[in-house]
Amino acid sequence: MIRLVPNHADRIRRTAEVTFHFDGTTLPGCEGETLIAALMRAGVLHLRNAPHDGAPRGGFCAMGLCQECMVRVDGQVVEACRVTVTPGLQVARL
Amino acid sequence: MTAADVDIAVLGAGPAGSTAALAAAQAGLRVALLDEQDAPGGQVWRAKSAAILSAPHTPESKAGAALRQAVADSSIMLHPATRVWQIARTGDGWQIDTLRDGATDSLTATRLIIASGAREVVQPLPGWTTPGVIGLAGATALFKQNLTVPGARTVVAGTGPLVFYVASEIRRLGGTVAAVVTPNTRRDWAGSLPAMLGKPALVARGALWVADLMLSGVPVLWGHQVTAVEGDTRVSRITAQSVTGASTHNFAADSLCLGNGLMPQVEAAQMLGVPLHHDAALGGWVPACSDDGVTPVAGLYLCGDGTGIRGADAAVHHGRLCGLRAAADAGCTSGHAMDIARRNWRRAARFGLAMTALSRPTPALAQLASDDTIICRCESLTRRDILAEIGSGATSTNAVKSGLRAGMGPCGGKYCQTSVARLIAAETGVTEGAVPPPTPRPPLRPVPVAAAAGQFDYDDLPIPKPAPL
Amino acid sequence: MSYDIAIIGGGIMGCATALRLAAGGMRPIVLDQGDLGQGASGVNAGTLSLQIKRVKLMPYALKGHHLWEEMGTAVGFAKTGGYTLAFTDREVDLLHERQTMKREAGAPITFVSNNALRAAEPGLTHAVKAASYCPEDGYANSALTGQYYRGKLQDAGIAYRERTPVTGIDRVDGYELQTPAGPVRAARVLLAAGAWLKPLAALMDVDLPVNARINTVSVTERMPAMMSHVIGHATGLLTMKQKANGTVLIGGGWQGKGTPQQGRGEVDVAAVKPNLALAQYALPALGTARVLRSWTGFEANVPDFYPLAGTLPGFDDAFVLGCVRGGYTIGPSIGQLMGDLILGRSPEMPLFDPGRSFEEDRP
Repeated sequence: MIRLVPNHADRIRRTAEVTFHFDGTTLPGCEGETLIAALMRAGVLHLRNAPHDGAPRGGFCAMGLCQECMVRVDGQVVEACRVTVTPGLQVARL
Repeated sequence: MTAADVDIAVLGAGPAGSTAALAAAQAGLRVALLDEQDAPGGQVWRAKSAAILSAPHTPESKAGAALRQAVADSSIMLHPATRVWQIARTGDGWQIDTLRDGATDSLTATRLIIASGAREVVQPLPGWTTPGVIGLAGATALFKQNLTVPGARTVVAGTGPLVFYVASEIRRLGGTVAAVVTPNTRRDWAGSLPAMLGKPALVARGALWVADLMLSGVPVLWGHQVTAVEGDTRVSRITAQSVTGASTHNFAADSLCLGNGLMPQVEAAQMLGVPLHHDAALGGWVPACSDDGVTPVAGLYLCGDGTGIRGADAAVHHGRLCGLRAAADAGCTSGHAMDIARRNWRRAARFGLAMTALSRPTPALAQLASDDTIICRCESLTRRDILAEIGSGATSTNAVKSGLRAGMGPCGGKYCQTSVARLIAAETGVTEGAVPPPTPRPPLRPVPVAAAAGQFDYDDLPIPKPAPL
Repeated sequence: MSYDIAIIGGGIMGCATALRLAAGGMRPIVLDQGDLGQGASGVNAGTLSLQIKRVKLMPYALKGHHLWEEMGTAVGFAKTGGYTLAFTDREVDLLHERQTMKREAGAPITFVSNNALRAAEPGLTHAVKAASYCPEDGYANSALTGQYYRGKLQDAGIAYRERTPVTGIDRVDGYELQTPAGPVRAARVLLAAGAWLKPLAALMDVDLPVNARINTVSVTERMPAMMSHVIGHATGLLTMKQKANGTVLIGGGWQGKGTPQQGRGEVDVAAVKPNLALAQYALPALGTARVLRSWTGFEANVPDFYPLAGTLPGFDDAFVLGCVRGGYTIGPSIGQLMGDLILGRSPEMPLFDPGRSFEEDRP
């Protein structure tokens, strides 16, 4: 198969892996990356349930506007697309 | 009036805002540049996160790096990771209230340039709230900042050039594209060729993306649209149909990148009293301003995609033009530089406007939502809910918002109001331009009570005289 | 087509009057420059509290509470009971003096011990020095005002025109109102345009001494249950309640900027900050709640802070209704009284002559 767009996956160097906690599950991430990206790479897209119908929701706009990726960190609701992964970060589902 | 902290405050450090700030700073003015991201670049030239130690360059990463270097080398006072939550006039100038690391602060400026940029338009369709569906522009933010793809197997769908950019980036970052689905036809693209010829490098890059997909056997469905998304806690299957309905395709996928162009973010300008008008060619509702970014509100300037979707190249020239104009109004004239910037802006805008035209949601896309499809994501309001409210006599976006809470949730209506307005227009037989967006409300971004309240001593409360008994 | 009466202003008072008039056999038309119920009627904090009503308006407020309760879920009515808090000795004195007078005027207000308060509202700060309680207090959802009255007008077959500002009022065999959508004819007019009464009356060469307060309200995102009553403050500088959906609405009459003539009010951060600080002081857990929206609404008043409700000075077929302190609570009841007056019946409670002299506190 011919590729005109190269695969750069192997040429990306990231910071050392750390672990953080999402709703009681320990997940890997890289220190300094955006929480929503770490969750995505860990296969976690379902971040909360909608208030009315309880339907699953996940990150949508990825730029701090839509509020779909709301999670709780240190008792405060924050957007997962604007939180940075740190070692041992505790993240709770709303 | 006490002296302002700076001569000019620029809100938004994308291509337009950063360039405006550079132009004004180079003219000798004290300039502050504020952005909610950690570094300048905006969405299009978003900087990599601290977790990326090294990665191959792209045209976007190079442009962003050059911009960040220019800002760093300038006298600009950069306020990164700073969310502006309120702007108010104070005397002849402006007070900008900010939130950074959970604490509020404020800054005063004699002149204010708002370069608020764009946000994404995503046409609602059945299943679009399923985790794993993300905006096309949102996907590019993930790629640029975190070099992360949304899943193992992704369908990329929508209008305009962004579908091909996103598909190619997914492949470059090691992901798999299950299919590219776009309502645009090759004929639509051919129609844009005259405007595209001014940017041969971009045309060549786009042609390479498409060729790569074809050669790699990725299905590219022209004249098709995604009609349904299946999956519970995660996308599992995507259905696409030809616009004519003649053929149906199903794809197993765990993610979908979906978008229908961009719209200007006008709320800040609107709150400050700048009138809006509707111009579909510019992406929808746009604020009134001259080519130079001068608004009817004294001391307030606008530039970049927030004034109409013309793309990053145009934004750079528009930012320079606007920065020079604001500097000239502050007494720092710049000779012919403004004429050059204006000429460059117009040339670049031709290409950008052609891409905006290709990106606009087609009428058929508006038909995708079923009665059960959620329109307002925050409040889980379906098309049926909205239609019933309109049917009961709520014929403005304000009335639908009041009656149903469509636009009162955490996003503040950013992702539902275009759809609500379209439904009102269709149901009442008027044009979209006759259905203005609802009255915008501060704060511009959610702000915690404790942060807004700040340090507080009960005895310092200003107690007015008691209400009449 | 000529109407029996044109009502200018489709807020609670204009609509409530229209409904009474239609029930009494008149053909009204309601005109609003915006949408129905989008002025003060639709943007106030929705507090229904007898503890913050004026003593002399208490009978109207008691009747108003009764009517809101009847409107029920369609307007988001909730009778939660309400506590008013005092944090300083001065506020304790103020609370006792004022709530005693209101109790004597008919509001079932009692003073409660700190222990009783903590049992009822465990999230409140322990800095409370005294509190009063009124079981009649609660709230409705002011955002639903427009939807509610639109439906009621439709059910009653009453004509209404939204986004139809009146730009001129001419006397021609009754009245001809000029609007961008063409003229509207009616035998009578009722001016019920809230903070816009002054420019409206000026179209009829009448000078009404109407001022506007610019009250600020803020609302948070959904929060876990934090309080179950309406909470107020002895100075009136705070009202708050948590809605069934978890959002917390914070008001207290903090002043924004702007004028009705400019068409829009503007939130003043310098006023929002102490308003939020006071709310957090009363209920510390509120600190992490994110404020999603703040807005302002114009509350019309005249210098004596009593209503305008009667014939327009110098006219016998033109009427004015507005400037009711506590107008959200009292609006439905005073609208009925106004309707009775226009119908030629005698209202069961006295109204407030718009032609009086406006020395302070003398109705």
